[in-house]
Amino acid sequence: MLVIRPVTLADLSALEQLAEHAVPRLTNLPANRDRLEERIVRSQEAFESEIEYPGNEHYMFVLADDSRNEVLGTATIRAQAGAAEAYYTYRQETLIHASQQLNVRREVQTLALSHEVSDATLLCALSLNPRYKGTSAESLLRRARLMFIAQYPERFSRILAVAFPGYLDSQNESPFWESVGRHFFARSFQEMNHIAGVRSKSFIAEVMPQFPLYLPLLTPQARAAIGREHPAHEEALGEMLAEGFVRSRHVDIFDAGPIVKAERERLETFRRAAWHPVRIRPEHALPDAEPAMIANQTLSDFRCIVARYALSPTGQLMLSPQHAARLGVEEGRAVLAAPLSLPSAVDALDEGEM
Amino acid sequence: MRIRPIARDDLDGLQALAQQAGVGFTSLPDNREFLAGKIESAARAFEERTPVDDRLYFFVLEDETNGELAGCCAIEGQVGREVPFYNYRLGTLAHSSVQLDLHRTIDTLFLSSDHTGDAEVCSLFLRPEYRGEANKHLRNGALLSKARWLFMAQFRDRFPQKVLAEMRGVFDENNVSPFWESLGKHFFPMDFNEADRLTGLGQKSFIGELMPKFPIYTTFMSEEARACIGQVHRHTRPALEMLKKEGLRWEGYIDIFDGGPTVEAYIDDVRAIRNSQLYQVEVSASAPQESVSRWLAASTQMLNFTASWIGRGPADSSTIVLTPDEAKRLGVSTGDAVRLLET
Repeated sequence: MLVIRPVTLADLSALEQLAEHAVPRLTNLPANRDRLEERIVRSQEAFESEIEYPGNEHYMFVLADDSRNEVLGTATIRAQAGAAEAYYTYRQETLIHASQQLNVRREVQTLALSHEVSDATLLCALSLNPRYKGTSAESLLRRARLMFIAQYPERFSRILAVAFPGYLDSQNESPFWESVGRHFFARSFQEMNHIAGVRSKSFIAEVMPQFPLYLPLLTPQARAAIGREHPAHEEALGEMLAEGFVRSRHVDIFDAGPIVKAERERLETFRRAAWHPVRIRPEHALPDAEPAMIANQTLSDFRCIVARYALSPTGQLMLSPQHAARLGVEEGRAVLAAPLSLPSAVDALDEGEM
Repeated sequence: MRIRPIARDDLDGLQALAQQAGVGFTSLPDNREFLAGKIESAARAFEERTPVDDRLYFFVLEDETNGELAGCCAIEGQVGREVPFYNYRLGTLAHSSVQLDLHRTIDTLFLSSDHTGDAEVCSLFLRPEYRGEANKHLRNGALLSKARWLFMAQFRDRFPQKVLAEMRGVFDENNVSPFWESLGKHFFPMDFNEADRLTGLGQKSFIGELMPKFPIYTTFMSEEARACIGQVHRHTRPALEMLKKEGLRWEGYIDIFDGGPTVEAYIDDVRAIRNSQLYQVEVSASAPQESVSRWLAASTQMLNFTASWIGRGPADSSTIVLTPDEAKRLGVSTGDAVRLLET
């Protein structure tokens, strides 16, 4: 049975594997044992601390198959994208160059370095064993974090953001990096990504060009990559758009991958999540129902699973003994449930940014 | 051959010059109304009827044998006062990080109006029939270029601290500016010639309106374009050499359209201005004559300013002997002062 739970030090080797096999490699999930160990310790501190407002906490989760004692995926919440350092993005802007004398009006697109996303809570560092791609386990791994945030709103920002890996070509090179970052760093995208993972990204961002970039001066390949996700993340982006995230004007400073944002109250999972007391019933006696994410309400022993959203006429959530055990709940305790399926995606730009 | 201020009845002659100069010579468009305005403005400048910061001193090179205009040159008293004067300043930004073992410098172009208020020597044109091997002894090009320094030396208080000259940038064999192709083209809905033409007409406000306001990282430009930064058109090299000999230097400012260099100097440091001196005229028919003119003479009046080559240097520390022809050409007689420059 698959379950989401906080990471522990015993997961270190599995995490290393997941970091190494992430497609593409992720800056915020470095394949470096020491760094990962630090992250686990840091995550444990976050789960165990009393926190009243978001700060420099990382909450790292794993997707585990306890019957096989296997870790299949990981995902992280950074309570504040730029808590200790600034979180750098490029913001797509439009400048109007108009001349009355010539009777012309031109829109000139620029990319301007921005720290605006620094305050947002960032969902990041997701890597999944490819065997489970496209399954409900993938959705669970991605969206169980929302179930956690829903329970502990004080620990997170009102605005949530997700940065998707940007477009890479068939040579695994980033056309955007080749046209922009490379001029300033003289290193390949992969090298830079590695350094960024081991150190930090804002550390590198501080050496990025500080003035806005004029899009007409970039290569057509680089321009085409702006706001375009990595091919392996198309479905993931689609799911988050269906969840209620909207594309922002912000893109990643290295590969120009899209950053989607949302006010958390507008997300489907938040709007539809509901508390139910648990009623334990034998597996065979459970009625058929749509799948749902179901989470317990124990902070440092947080668990979230996919099970049927089987409600009794009196509003109790009926769970099998195995599911109840997995969540660590007894009859009568409350669990948070939200439907796993989402309405079809609307690919929209954040109206608040228009 | 002599230099004199342009006069109100020079309109036909100036238009003939403009027609010959062609489209590349943007400050002299073949536009009668525009040229008439230019003459009027210049005439008023010499009459000192316009504010000192809005004076265009426009000179012509006159062939006294037939009264024709052989060329022209000008001094803008102060640029950027009426309409903005734009340049790109080539700068360098360091991108450096000890932890990343990184130290790079990136060239940048900053839009600047740093030269606002400086004087400019400009609009030099010499008709082809007055150039070339056959006319080399006349030194007409040097006369047009250097006469302006004598004028500035004589009327130093009418000019600011610095002077500049804009040099034509590099164009390829198809007359295309690689600098424009890589930069300006993206921001101006017109071709180079049209943009240049509007600038020549003094309609420069569109530049500020359409040009990028943030600095340009030159690393985003084509290699050909970067190679043009601060380089002159091959036809402009002799003119650049002449200005360099006077002490004008490239300080990193370039033309926003073609990337050609803007050279500049403190006026008091310009060699011709430092070295020119006043002498008293003595007219004598028996003055000796050098085979090649080395000495440039100019009268000392603004309205009747005249400059031409003369056949010899000063007789002593205070006297210059002129032939009756030379004195007539310069409009001076015995006892008058003239400013001399050895070239």
